[in-house]
Amino acid sequence: MKFINLLKKELSELINKQMILGLAVTMIILMFVGNMMESTIGEAVSESYSINICDRDDTELTHTLLNELEASGASVKLCQAEGDDYSAILEENDIPSLVIIPEGFSDTLLTGGTSGQLISISAMDSAATMSNISNDNSGALALIEDRLTNILAIEAGISENQLALMDNPLVISEQTVVADNSAAISIDDVMNDVMMQNMILPIVVFVLIMMTSQMLISTISNEKIDKTLETLLSAPVSRTAVIAAKMLAAAAVALINAAVYMFGFSFFVSGATDSVTEEMNATAAGQFISVDAALEQLGLTLGAVDYIFIGLQLFLTIMICLSVSLILGAMANDIKSSQNMTMPILMLAMVPYLISMLADINSLPMIFRVIVYAIPFTHTFSAMSNLMFGNTAVFFGGLAYQAVVFLLCMFFALKLFKSDKIFTISLNFGQKARFKRNTK
Amino acid sequence: MEKILEVRELSKQYSKVLAADKVSFDIGKGEIFALIGPNGAGKTTTIRMISTLLTPTSGDAVVAGHSVVNAPDKVRQCITYLPDEAGAYKTMTGMAYLKFMAGLFTSDKTTADSYVKRACEICGLGDRLRDKIGSYSRGMIRKLLLARAVMPRPKLAILDEPTSGLDVLNAIEIRKMIKSLAREEGTSFLLSSHNMLEIEFVSDRVGIISNGHLMVTGETAELKQRYSAANLEEVFERVVLENEVH
Ligand SMILES: Nc1ncnc2c1ncn2[C@@H]1O[C@H](COP(=O)(O)OP(=O)(O)O)[C@@H](O)[C@H]1O
Ligand SMILES: [Mg+2]
Repeated sequence: MKFINLLKKELSELINKQMILGLAVTMIILMFVGNMMESTIGEAVSESYSINICDRDDTELTHTLLNELEASGASVKLCQAEGDDYSAILEENDIPSLVIIPEGFSDTLLTGGTSGQLISISAMDSAATMSNISNDNSGALALIEDRLTNILAIEAGISENQLALMDNPLVISEQTVVADNSAAISIDDVMNDVMMQNMILPIVVFVLIMMTSQMLISTISNEKIDKTLETLLSAPVSRTAVIAAKMLAAAAVALINAAVYMFGFSFFVSGATDSVTEEMNATAAGQFISVDAALEQLGLTLGAVDYIFIGLQLFLTIMICLSVSLILGAMANDIKSSQNMTMPILMLAMVPYLISMLADINSLPMIFRVIVYAIPFTHTFSAMSNLMFGNTAVFFGGLAYQAVVFLLCMFFALKLFKSDKIFTISLNFGQKARFKRNTK
Repeated sequence: MEKILEVRELSKQYSKVLAADKVSFDIGKGEIFALIGPNGAGKTTTIRMISTLLTPTSGDAVVAGHSVVNAPDKVRQCITYLPDEAGAYKTMTGMAYLKFMAGLFTSDKTTADSYVKRACEICGLGDRLRDKIGSYSRGMIRKLLLARAVMPRPKLAILDEPTSGLDVLNAIEIRKMIKSLAREEGTSFLLSSHNMLEIEFVSDRVGIISNGHLMVTGETAELKQRYSAANLEEVFERVVLENEVH
């Protein structure tokens, strides 16, 4: 019985309004993200059942093949494409991927006795994992190969068993398109490499955001709890200096930490990518160029200027984080509430972090895009992808938006610290809580 | 007598409570003035306004010729403030804390050193100053903070409930420290206390505050005589009764 008594007290301490509110908000956010994922992935999957084909060969065999494809349930879209400017071809037809049956395809297959060659073109528009699913031709190619094998078998009177023993009838020449550039490489290889590159920065940024805010919020709330803040603010020092020192210290310590993480992770990732690329180069022997050369050709490598822009973005991100933390720290009046105060920051960082890893925000439906881009940290997490894939307008718009958010937050933070609100804000909460308790 | 502090109809309205209602009093040089009243009377509110932490809703306080409303920066150069139930940075040693605080009051190294030296003597913590503040007792922290508050020789030292929560011996020690600093150095003190019996021993003059009203000010002896009371507690009781009658 005494135990029950104790348990009750512990539970009533742990379960409070803040916790329930936190749970509710988390729930809503997860549902929102889930909804969004569902709509983007659903779209991607439905698109993968449609095959874009350009039939340059235009023979009986290819006609049969196209009919077979349609008969097997795929929706085939016939496109016109001249020349080998693959980026222009995709753009003209307004499609993310295309399979080209080159001239002479049927001849080589039927009379030449060698494998026929197809050209598979896929566009890549972001570094996010889910965003390129629909652009991958692998489903289409598998279906084509399956149907083609069947047609050939029937034509030559080969039985299923014999068929299984036959060699691959197709050689695929893969082309990946990024904006105006194309390179003879498979989209999967590019994805793998770009994803690895895009992995470290968001993790480090996430850690950086959480650490900076946690530190600043706790130093401010500790000073409030110990009343050292009152001593500090009644001393002959400028309040701007007090705030600046706190912000600078938190940023410096967080940056040192971030540098260590970055260093560690880059080892980890370079180890991982090296082995992956080596393996890939080995398997993709038919490939014409190396992954690095392909990335270069596709314009997916970041130059010095890009890194300066990313640095600028990181700087703004930390400044936003610091200014928001100043405000949150000022509102905390005990240790528990100071811990809760990091929740908003966690949410603001987690949502864009998850979304930018999985989906290409630029291709989300309008409402989602607006909501997601309204979170200032989104621009940080999508910065690298935006620069890589040439979405410069989005990048600089984000930068400007972040600058505005920072100035606004800083304005409020300074207003708070320079007026007596810094002391009355928390007391008001305490006052209300006490008031409520009294009226019960 | 030279006036160090002149409080003129100082008022503070919180969202619901009028915590200070036209409070007026003066403090002369080297004088120890105590605001006394029960919890929630408005002592801390009044003191925080004089310390430039809260902005008055109306009225003003002038410290050594500087207005808390118009020249709070100048006021901060003349005062030091010890909040009630204040703590200090727990991970610092007492010595480091004194050095840090001295550095806020002067940019000159030798002056700062002299402040620290003075504080070391006043606080009487000796070798314990080299220990982390986290290991200090309540009494030790209060002595450290009091020494910190008087080390830069402020024109006015503002101490909110300097003895509350301390045992008798520590409280007596703190009171003696305040008294000798006022006598020997001419520092003016503004204190507050909800313990009306104790405050007799330390203050030259007191102001009785209740529900945000400063009802009467005067020397202890004079007040006791005026209300024919044995001590300040009885004075307080009669003042409150008298105000209810009117
Ligand atoms: N920040 C605040 N917001 C609202 N009411 C407050 C605040 N601070 C103090 N009060 C109220 O003002 C009154 C005076 O408080 P205070 O000055 O702290 O009294 P004392 O220091 O004499 O105990 C009390 O009723 C208190 O509840
Ligand atoms: Mg008080």
